[in-house]
Amino acid sequence: MTPLLLVLGASLVGTDPAPAGAAKVDFNRDVRPILADHCYQCHGPDAQKRKGKLRLDLDPTGEKRDPVVVPGKPDQSELIRRVTVHDAGERMPPPKFARPLSETQIATLTNWVRQGGTWAKHWALIPPTRPDPPKTKFATANSIDAFVFARLEREGLAPSKAADRATLARRMTLDLTGLPPTPAEVDAFVNDKSPDAVGALAERLLASPRYGERMAWKWLEAARYADTHGYQTDGEREMWRWRDWVIEAYNRNLPFDRFTVEQLAGDLLPNPTLDQRIATGFNRNHRGNSEGGIVPEEYAVEYVVDRVETTATVWLGLTLGCARCHDHKFDPFSQREFYQLYAYFNSIPEKGRAVKNGNSPPYIKAPTRDQQKLLAESDARLAGAEKEWSALRPVLAGAEAKWALSVKPADVPEWSPTRGLLKHWQFAAPLAFDGDRFTTAAAAGDFGYDDRFSFALRVKPRALTGALLSRGPDEPQAEGYAVELVEGKVRVALTRRWLDDALRVETVQPLVADVAQHLAITYDGSRAAAGVKVYVNGAEQKTKVLLDELNQSFQTKEPFLLGAGGGKDNRFRGLMNDVRIFGRVLEAGEVGHLAEEATIPQILAKPAAERTASERDKLRACFLERHAPPEVQKPYLALRSAREERAKFWDALPTVMVMEELPKPRDAFVLLRGEYDKRGAKVERAVPAALPALPKGAPNDRLGLARWIANPENPLTARVAVNRMWQLHFGRGLVRTSEDFGTQGEFPSHPELLDWLATEFARDWDVKRLHKLIVTSATYQQSSRVTDALLERDPENKLLARGPRQRLSAEMLRDQALFAAGLLVEQRGGPSVKPYQPAGLWNELTGTGDYKQDTGDALYRRSLYTYWKRTVPPPTLGIFDTGMRETCWVRESRTNTPLHALTLLNDPTFVEAARVLAERVMKEEPTPELRLARAFQLLTSRRPNAREAQVLLAAYERQHAAYAKNPDAAAKVLKVGEAKPDVKLNAAELAAYAAVCSLILNLDESVTKE
Amino acid sequence: MPHPVHEAIALQNRRAFLSATVGTAALASLLRADEAKPAPSAKAKRIIYLFQSGAPSQLDLFDYKPELAKRFAENLPDSVRKGQRLTGMTATQEAFPVAPSKYAFARHGKSSAWLSELLPYTAAVADDLCFIKSMHTEAINHDPAITFCQTGAQLAGRPSFGSWVSYGLGSENKDLPAFVVLVSQGSGNPADQPLYDRLWGSGFLPSRFQGVKFRSQGDPVLFLSNPEGVSAEDRRKLLDDLAKLNEMKRAETGDPETATRTAQYEMAFRMQTSVPELTDLSKEPASTFKLYGEDAKKPGTFAANCLLARRLIERDVRFVQLYHRGWDQHVNLPKQIEAQCADTDRASAALVTDLKQRGLLKDTVVVWGGEFGRTVYCQGRLTKENYGRDHHPRCFTVWAAGGGIKPGVTFGETDDYGYNVAKDGVSIHDLNATLLHCLGIDHEKLTYKFQGRHFRLTDVFGRVVTEVLA
Repeated sequence: MTPLLLVLGASLVGTDPAPAGAAKVDFNRDVRPILADHCYQCHGPDAQKRKGKLRLDLDPTGEKRDPVVVPGKPDQSELIRRVTVHDAGERMPPPKFARPLSETQIATLTNWVRQGGTWAKHWALIPPTRPDPPKTKFATANSIDAFVFARLEREGLAPSKAADRATLARRMTLDLTGLPPTPAEVDAFVNDKSPDAVGALAERLLASPRYGERMAWKWLEAARYADTHGYQTDGEREMWRWRDWVIEAYNRNLPFDRFTVEQLAGDLLPNPTLDQRIATGFNRNHRGNSEGGIVPEEYAVEYVVDRVETTATVWLGLTLGCARCHDHKFDPFSQREFYQLYAYFNSIPEKGRAVKNGNSPPYIKAPTRDQQKLLAESDARLAGAEKEWSALRPVLAGAEAKWALSVKPADVPEWSPTRGLLKHWQFAAPLAFDGDRFTTAAAAGDFGYDDRFSFALRVKPRALTGALLSRGPDEPQAEGYAVELVEGKVRVALTRRWLDDALRVETVQPLVADVAQHLAITYDGSRAAAGVKVYVNGAEQKTKVLLDELNQSFQTKEPFLLGAGGGKDNRFRGLMNDVRIFGRVLEAGEVGHLAEEATIPQILAKPAAERTASERDKLRACFLERHAPPEVQKPYLALRSAREERAKFWDALPTVMVMEELPKPRDAFVLLRGEYDKRGAKVERAVPAALPALPKGAPNDRLGLARWIANPENPLTARVAVNRMWQLHFGRGLVRTSEDFGTQGEFPSHPELLDWLATEFARDWDVKRLHKLIVTSATYQQSSRVTDALLERDPENKLLARGPRQRLSAEMLRDQALFAAGLLVEQRGGPSVKPYQPAGLWNELTGTGDYKQDTGDALYRRSLYTYWKRTVPPPTLGIFDTGMRETCWVRESRTNTPLHALTLLNDPTFVEAARVLAERVMKEEPTPELRLARAFQLLTSRRPNAREAQVLLAAYERQHAAYAKNPDAAAKVLKVGEAKPDVKLNAAELAAYAAVCSLILNLDESVTKE
Repeated sequence: MPHPVHEAIALQNRRAFLSATVGTAALASLLRADEAKPAPSAKAKRIIYLFQSGAPSQLDLFDYKPELAKRFAENLPDSVRKGQRLTGMTATQEAFPVAPSKYAFARHGKSSAWLSELLPYTAAVADDLCFIKSMHTEAINHDPAITFCQTGAQLAGRPSFGSWVSYGLGSENKDLPAFVVLVSQGSGNPADQPLYDRLWGSGFLPSRFQGVKFRSQGDPVLFLSNPEGVSAEDRRKLLDDLAKLNEMKRAETGDPETATRTAQYEMAFRMQTSVPELTDLSKEPASTFKLYGEDAKKPGTFAANCLLARRLIERDVRFVQLYHRGWDQHVNLPKQIEAQCADTDRASAALVTDLKQRGLLKDTVVVWGGEFGRTVYCQGRLTKENYGRDHHPRCFTVWAAGGGIKPGVTFGETDDYGYNVAKDGVSIHDLNATLLHCLGIDHEKLTYKFQGRHFRLTDVFGRVVTEVLA
């Protein structure tokens, strides 16, 4: 028998969970919360802080020293003596601790000792066993009701009657799809007399693609998903492919164990699919710091800690973060165990300093399904072009030879690569630099860190140190870019801030003084040192990376300088000619053609057998570009354009940050006080001892950990998951502290039901089946009406003697308004969108760049797709208690503030929706009464009663009279929002209906799930 | 989340940190201003926090180090630096040359407080201020450091100072939020140090305790104005209809939350009058602008925000949080700091004077300071006339004045280089504990249970610095 089954006695619903009388005391429900809150600080799991060698989180009766609890004998038990003694020096908890026990709590402890003082392991750490549903006199729809109603029976309460069908339709549709039902759907349900009408409705809603969007919102909050990095600079990132994976995963009902494993360790699965790799974005959604001057190691630690904390909260309901700096004060997890879990998450090839704008490695290209199709087509076209080209190879040499013999060398113009050439300086005689004079070109080479570019030039250096070219202030260590010689080595510097925001590479081999050499530099816009190549005389050079920390663009407004950069002591001495600037990355072959000194006429003049390889290559390129017959040139150009098209398509594909594992795991250490630079003992990967061990033979890596979490044997995973699903429907979990199943969390209101649901869920991890089970229960279908007596008895609806009644969540409020108006654009997935937001909000906080609102359809997408900037969240959503996406958030929170009223009344989002709703009902119905009833019905799923209809009609007539007298005001009302009003409608009428629609939109009933 | 009944219980519970007894908070009281009675020991009822975001240089404003003039461009001795961690911006710098302040310092007032020539107005009110020169913090970068000052933790997610105070003491004004935030952009370094909404967020406290940012462009409070074409009269009647319909619903469902909602719509309506009235400075007499300067006429300036802060305090708003950006002076410090002082010196002093004249300073605490200090060594190129300073968490200066703070005092000392605290160090937690104490709040008892822990603004630290209390 598990301790949970002991919970049979009467219990209180109020804030004090301990029964005062002689009722059966349950250790986990009644006693442990008292000990945890009042004693564990000094007598708990934290060995460092433990006083008097006494632990009250484990059974102390077996200890050799005087037992603090003598079973059945409170007066002989030291525990009871110390909590009742008057001597302040002996009294526990010490008065200084400022958390005294109440009389009720002392009575509970005393009763518990009297009844035997039995200890039990913390309930949540014991695997759930499947209880039999109890008997109850009330009619049940499924086993959920047996548990809930039997409890009500014991409490002397009765379930409420079922909510009426219309209310139920709205409740279910909102809960399962996040949108209200249409009046037609409500009517169909009301008129469905079949015995399984509710089940059928549930099936229909769960099959709707809106279901995935609804569920994804909550998961996004838990996963701290956002479109920016957070921290100081809060630059943009691209994670929406992960968001879309979540929506799809819910819609295809991916079983929760696979949902878990793929997100935590999809990359480690054998031959992972693209989808499985995208799924691992879950643990890259944490914030990333790109602030200049941070110590990267410090934040590398923060990211790993965030992964441990988030994973623990989301799947295990544990507050493991508490064990980062010291042993957990309340739950049996040591600091060492925290870092053993940390060791599963610290071997990602990542840097502590995040990329300022864009994704930080590791990330992958993540084409959408449509793009995957297009990519395959592009690949096929490329393969076709390659095939056609290679088929031509046998005749190519012949064609070239034929041409070469047919021309007079001196008549053939010189040729060199010119595609993408932006600037070319060719002087009759090489330009001489004397270490003082230099050349400027204001507009040339205006590049930033996202641009691709190349430089090519011939140099004959006299001195081996000095700048060849640059763009930036002419000072040492200035921002901008520069190519310079440093003791002969060719150094390329791309600089925003010399010490910590720059990229510098230099060649290993120096140039030779007083010898003409050809030099080319290419940069591919990747912001990384690996994206810079240096060629000398056509040969790619080995380079040394001096710094690889470029995080902001190096673009400046300074002119381009030839022969200068880095101040007057760094001028070039020597000769320079044939300087070219390209707006693309030259290929190695092209660099070779540029380096080749022989001109085309010179090459042609040579007998073929005497031409060098480089000369032959240049001649071949020239032939293909300029002189080949169409049957040769066409496939040549076709191949080139197929390659370019494919590259362009590839570049434009979305990316997503993912988890990857280093070939050799990084070492992990206990970090003293949790500080990144205070390493303690080295630790190996391991799961906490208080939980089941890893199965034999399981890999001891992230995949092993993920499978261990998603194992039915894990006492927490299924309980935590079903609790959140319950919370989604009822507003509060069976464990109210849905983020904390530890000893400081709240004891479950219905422990047996929780365990029954958990074991039911872990049978097949079928998420849709579990939601259906909940919404088809009689418990869920109860009316939410409440009497004063019941309100007093159970204000929080812990006992579930009534149905849930709750204000709609942030995203539902907006989505409902758009849906009722007919404005909602139901396009699934894609990059995030920027709907209405007051001007200046970003700018007044960041001083750089403001929000650029989208137009058209993007204004009316579901809120799930709204661009989420972490430091300035979208106010229309952020005002309504949503998770702030900085850290993991799994609760449902609802407050009630004047800002809510202001937003729903005055935010253009809602003002426009009310007006478009007004247009809709004017078109759909003929009379004021019917129109108002229709608007009311679209938002509340029922028709107004006579008194309500009368208030609405009076409001309409009053507003109509006012607007008829004041057409200017009416015209202004109709101007709010981008949707243009139908000019055929009477403006005063429309403005008046819009006012009443706004009234309806603001009704308590409209903003509440009844 | 919480049901009103539970909010009422929570309200009672949270009052436990006050020594005064609080009567049963009836459900309905949630709809009115909370009737908190601070402890009799409370000297202050309100706080104005003039946060100088980006971190002003203590060495050029407050912390006079005459010996440094002789050490111009000398390398900072290792015995002073003691392996202190540096930001990535200067950690690889080849040398750490001492940059003495180019500004003259003098003693001011009866208290003989040292102040630089950049702060003539502050100097004139020096006898009302308490300078704490031995502040120190843990963080070295802006985001964690500001977050630490404002929430007691470097990482995001905890409630802000103002939220704790509004949770603890409730509101004294039924027409305005208890915690108001005002933001201004400095003239010094406009591109750096952004702010974040979460700095005035309520963390895990219910969101009604979060700060409400008053804006200088558009509506002062988001969505405060009726849409164009909707008159106040239309709105009033619409709200009457709303109340009528909601009441019909409440009678049917029995849910008190419905009545709360109607009441919040009424408060929103009152805010539509009270906020514009508050932010309308046109009726301020000429003497006001003589005191605060002409800048105070320009919405969104620090001076205008200081004046608004006084108007908010007059209306018993609990916590007014100003942020003035632009103090992050890594390079070209002199030019930037002069501009910043021109923004702030006169208005900060004017606020203290104004509150004093109106008898409000005795129960209002004004705090002025940033998230850390700046290094004595130069970042970038050093000349006598131009230099830059990097972030420096080891010591910096903050001043406070009013309700319960001892006036005309300088507390704490730094070493000859202004690099380390030499005497009487005050941590961020100590400062916050002291400010709460002024409000009659025991910082160890103002707690909120979340994720199994009783959280505090001061984490598990904090000492009330009794030496600076009046």
